[in-house]
Amino acid sequence: MLRAALPILLLFALWEAAVIGLAIDPFYLPSIRVVAAAMQAQAPFYLDAYLVTLSEAALGFAMGGLVGVGSALLFTRLPVVKDMVLPIFIVSQTVPVIAFGAIVVLWFGNTLMAKAAIAFYLTFFPVTINTLAGIAAVDPRQVALLRSFGARQGAIMRKLLLPSALPRIFTALRLSASLALAGAIVGEWFGATRGVGAMLLAAMFNEQIVSLWASILVAAAVGGTLFAAVALAERAMVFWREEL
Amino acid sequence: MKLSISGVGKNFGAVRALDRVDLDIAPGEFVTLIGPSGCGKSTLFNMLAGLLEPDAGGSILLDGKAGALLGRTAFMPQRDLLLPWRNVLDNALLPCEIEGLPRASSRARAEKMAVDFGLRGFEKHYPQQLSGGMRQRVALMRTFMFERDLMLLDEPFGALDALTRSMMQRWLLDIWERYRRTILFITHDIDEAIFLADRVVVMSTRPGRIKLDRPIELPRPRDAHLLTAPEFTAIKRELLDAVEEESLKSFSA
Ligand SMILES: Nc1ncnc2c1ncn2[C@@H]1O[C@H](COP(=O)(O)OP(=O)(O)OP(=O)(O)O)[C@@H](O)[C@H]1O
Ligand SMILES: [Mg+2]
Repeated sequence: MLRAALPILLLFALWEAAVIGLAIDPFYLPSIRVVAAAMQAQAPFYLDAYLVTLSEAALGFAMGGLVGVGSALLFTRLPVVKDMVLPIFIVSQTVPVIAFGAIVVLWFGNTLMAKAAIAFYLTFFPVTINTLAGIAAVDPRQVALLRSFGARQGAIMRKLLLPSALPRIFTALRLSASLALAGAIVGEWFGATRGVGAMLLAAMFNEQIVSLWASILVAAAVGGTLFAAVALAERAMVFWREEL
Repeated sequence: MKLSISGVGKNFGAVRALDRVDLDIAPGEFVTLIGPSGCGKSTLFNMLAGLLEPDAGGSILLDGKAGALLGRTAFMPQRDLLLPWRNVLDNALLPCEIEGLPRASSRARAEKMAVDFGLRGFEKHYPQQLSGGMRQRVALMRTFMFERDLMLLDEPFGALDALTRSMMQRWLLDIWERYRRTILFITHDIDEAIFLADRVVVMSTRPGRIKLDRPIELPRPRDAHLLTAPEFTAIKRELLDAVEEESLKSFSA
């Protein structure tokens, strides 16, 4: 906890020192104390934005993680399905998230699900690819050993392939955590009234510089929360990696 | 379990890895297999374990019967291949889990066996926390937990230092006397081959064939002094000549 907090405090100190030392125009960079005071003054408002965006991003992230891992396992089990579906996955990723977002909001309206869907769209693919890479990297002698014990596909998958792929799955999940946040924010740009993305837009159009920086801090808090959750899960599940 | 191998060969594309191998092993026998690197020893084991099909014309019979071999023999590959996310006990329990044996009784059996394998107090340790010798004992214990009459051990002590290795050899004989399985054991070490075996089988350079099949009639139980006994050195000289001849061939080939 302290290890995470210290660099952040240091960054804030640098920020404040720069603002004072270099006499920066508050239009470009307001003092952190001013930003903090504004956030404190409107705490419920910022807390609401944090929670709204966090739930959108977390839901999309969870769906992306599940579909990513699940699709990779399915592809491994049934290569025919992989040959048919993986190209579609790849093509889907060539559609810019903005275009995709517009369609999704048309379909789902301004709902939590719409933003989660956009976050999902950005997150599942890296997870699929990394899970596949992790499974491909499994030592074939390891598979042979399990087969010599009479293991079938399902047991090999559960007892060997999936656990072996975990380190790479978590690499993808850490990347996906920030992508999910970006997806949720983009989703909010299509007419949402709550959330960090909506707040960012409003602050930008109204040239409320302090509020803009406050929104950025809230976005960072959402990203940090997701990232910390992934890191905690990783430490619990991939405890053996650092010793390899 | 009686094992009969006859006319077993294997090609990998253009490479003839194994020529025609004929070998019979009696129940409870301890047979060691030596031969130059690349002569097809591991390939033979892979076929005995059912992981690889012999080329047409070869047959492998267990107790006189042909049939699928996967899951019939307890196979220990050249590397320990322990799973880093499983502790000692769980690694040893892997074959039982795959077989679907009742968890509690397997676990009780593993806890008892861990004592014999010198792993008491390390049951909860992870492979990364163990020495090479211990890892090898865990891999061996895993092979014993897969209760099959025929065990295939591919250079189980290959990666160990000389001291640990000779301790492990005596210990393995002890375990073997206690659990009485049929063992086929690959090694590069002639001393080890003689010390352990009822029979030493020497293979030729690639393509591998059986060059020499030498019964070892040294009394059991065997101890470290045996290595310097005249009977032992006489056998060793004989085997060295055979092995040397093959190694030279593999270098000039
Ligand atoms: N899957 C494979 N595909 C192609 N060639 C192979 C394969 N497995 C083994 N070979 C070849 O077959 C030959 C015998 O290999 P094998 O591993 O059985 O030798 P070995 O006697 O166990 O050697 P070592 O003592 O070094 O372990 C080698 O030339 C090897 O390159
Ligand atoms: Mg080998």
